[in-house]
Amino acid sequence: MSENEVFADATEIKARKPLIEVQDVSKFFGTFQALHNINLRVGEQEVVVVIGPSGSGKSTLIRCINRLEKHDAGRIVVGGVELSDDIRNIQEIRRETGMVFQQFNLFPHLSVIDNIALAPRQVRHLAAREAEELAMRMLERVQIPEQARKYPGQLSGGQQQRVAIARALAMEPKIMLFDEPTSALDPEMIKEVLDVMKELARSGMTMIVVTHEMGFAREVADRVVFMDEGRVVEVGTPEHFFEAPEHDRTKLFLSQIL
Amino acid sequence: MASRTTSTRRRGPALLWVQENLFSTWLNTLFTLIFGGLFLFAGVALVRFFLHAQFQIIVTNLTLFMVGRFPRELLWRVWVSNSLIVAAIGLAAGASRGSAKAGLEEAGLPVGGSRPREVVQRFWPILLLILVLLSLSRTWVPTGLTIVMGVTGLGAFACGVVLPASRRNWSFFVAVLMLVSAFAVLVVLGGKGWDSWGGLHLTVVVSALGILFAFPLGVLFAVGRRSSLPAIRFLSVWYIEFVRGVPLITLLLMGMFALRFLLPRGLNPGSVTRVLIAITLFSGAYVAENVRGGLQAVPKGQMEAALALGMGTWTTQRRIVLPQALRAVIPALVGQFISLFKDTSLLSIVGILELLSVSKIVNAQPSFFGQGLASVTLPFVGLIYWVGSYTMSRESRRIEGRLGVGER
Repeated sequence: MSENEVFADATEIKARKPLIEVQDVSKFFGTFQALHNINLRVGEQEVVVVIGPSGSGKSTLIRCINRLEKHDAGRIVVGGVELSDDIRNIQEIRRETGMVFQQFNLFPHLSVIDNIALAPRQVRHLAAREAEELAMRMLERVQIPEQARKYPGQLSGGQQQRVAIARALAMEPKIMLFDEPTSALDPEMIKEVLDVMKELARSGMTMIVVTHEMGFAREVADRVVFMDEGRVVEVGTPEHFFEAPEHDRTKLFLSQIL
Repeated sequence: MASRTTSTRRRGPALLWVQENLFSTWLNTLFTLIFGGLFLFAGVALVRFFLHAQFQIIVTNLTLFMVGRFPRELLWRVWVSNSLIVAAIGLAAGASRGSAKAGLEEAGLPVGGSRPREVVQRFWPILLLILVLLSLSRTWVPTGLTIVMGVTGLGAFACGVVLPASRRNWSFFVAVLMLVSAFAVLVVLGGKGWDSWGGLHLTVVVSALGILFAFPLGVLFAVGRRSSLPAIRFLSVWYIEFVRGVPLITLLLMGMFALRFLLPRGLNPGSVTRVLIAITLFSGAYVAENVRGGLQAVPKGQMEAALALGMGTWTTQRRIVLPQALRAVIPALVGQFISLFKDTSLLSIVGILELLSVSKIVNAQPSFFGQGLASVTLPFVGLIYWVGSYTMSRESRRIEGRLGVGER
């Protein structure tokens, strides 16, 4: 199957209005090619789970979508805006795109509520009180409003990641990118974070999730993307993907982790 | 611990402590005797110094030590100026105390009062110095005026505490205004520019302004050194590396004798301004290197998280990166500020009558000449420098402790 066929396959499965379009994107780190001509379309309200071995380019791909990494070739269009060197386009796309990191990346010098309220105040120019109310609503959504006045260092990993999700949601983004959100968590805390993400998916959020949580992929994903060595190897519905994978590489990977 | 079981005789707790901590082994006993002897020797020397020292040289010249050659008939201006400074500090401290109190009340936490005992514990070196200085004065006038100053400061503090939340920003504005007027009262309407100031007063003013200007300058160059724009990066690196490669005394001499060739014609700043520029540029470079260390300690993920939220580079630096970077380098920064404070003594070499200069020139006065009284004046100014440095160091530890809340 060529790259173009993957692309055709992808659009066929979800015939929704595309919110994210990745066309022939390549990315180099020095001489190392991290991404090879990636094609991917994500429709509105779609949940795409990206899986693959470490070093396969999953994280790089979603980091290119909000320009934490600059792609070297191809086109990325998010919500009708093409990513270019123009800082205004980049800012516009970042405002529409929330991101959750493996290491949470909460701001340790700010209280939980300030972590969440800062960007709405600075970027959306909300008044202090408005931003705080918004932050409290987001904390209620991730079910830890009682932690509002604490500092990130005083919370458990699961709680921190939920604050990070609340922080991203406070910008009221159209798209949420998750970069291995549960990989740094102790096992007993993974569920509370996945539950929040499931609720988010049910509410109709467009999501790209890089994860190793196959249960989550099976339950929530509209489509699963399997990547290896910087290439999209296989795209399909979870049923297709887990029950009848086509590629040997996919089969090998699934046999190793399941 | 073992010695407790072996000791069979009944002993008082004090004696037991002495035996366990000072004479438990023969090596311990030896050290106890050696250091005990040294302490005794130092103690006796100190008492003898105080019994025989001729403090007359300080008593006679106390005003010179405090304000240099500032005209004596204008001394009231110094008192008014200092009172304004004390009031400004009191108001700002009171307002921040008030907002801390409000924060604690909102969070439902108990509000601890700041008892006089805590203030004494916190500022005992300064209080001790004030006592020493007042006891060296020949009249009671300074004591009276100091009490007035203290009352002014406490009054301003109380005003700051009871101020409603909406007026707190306003109080900081008023405090700044007071500081400006503290400067103005010395200079305007028949006052004297700072080329006529001197002594401890000048030392403190130059130190405070040096710190005030060097800090933002250093932060600017530290950020500049990491800029993605080559011109800014190049400028920052060269400024830092040039200044750090030159001794301060060289910069001071250049400021004194060479600066006017570099400045446009007609612009001819006075000597204090020139050395202040030199000190600021010098300390700025060191502050920049300290801050750069802090910037490097902030994980890359912090910046990425802020950018991903749509914040611009400037907002990210100001709200996310710099607060964390500066917190990490508070000890180094305060160390730099302590250095700056002590380095003002080098102004004595370029002919400015600051604290150390005074301690030298009084020994040339006819009534004290050739009596080796530097052995009195140098410890005296040493004490003053120590009080300033030690207070800064203690305050830095206090700030560190307070900011430790919520550290990762």
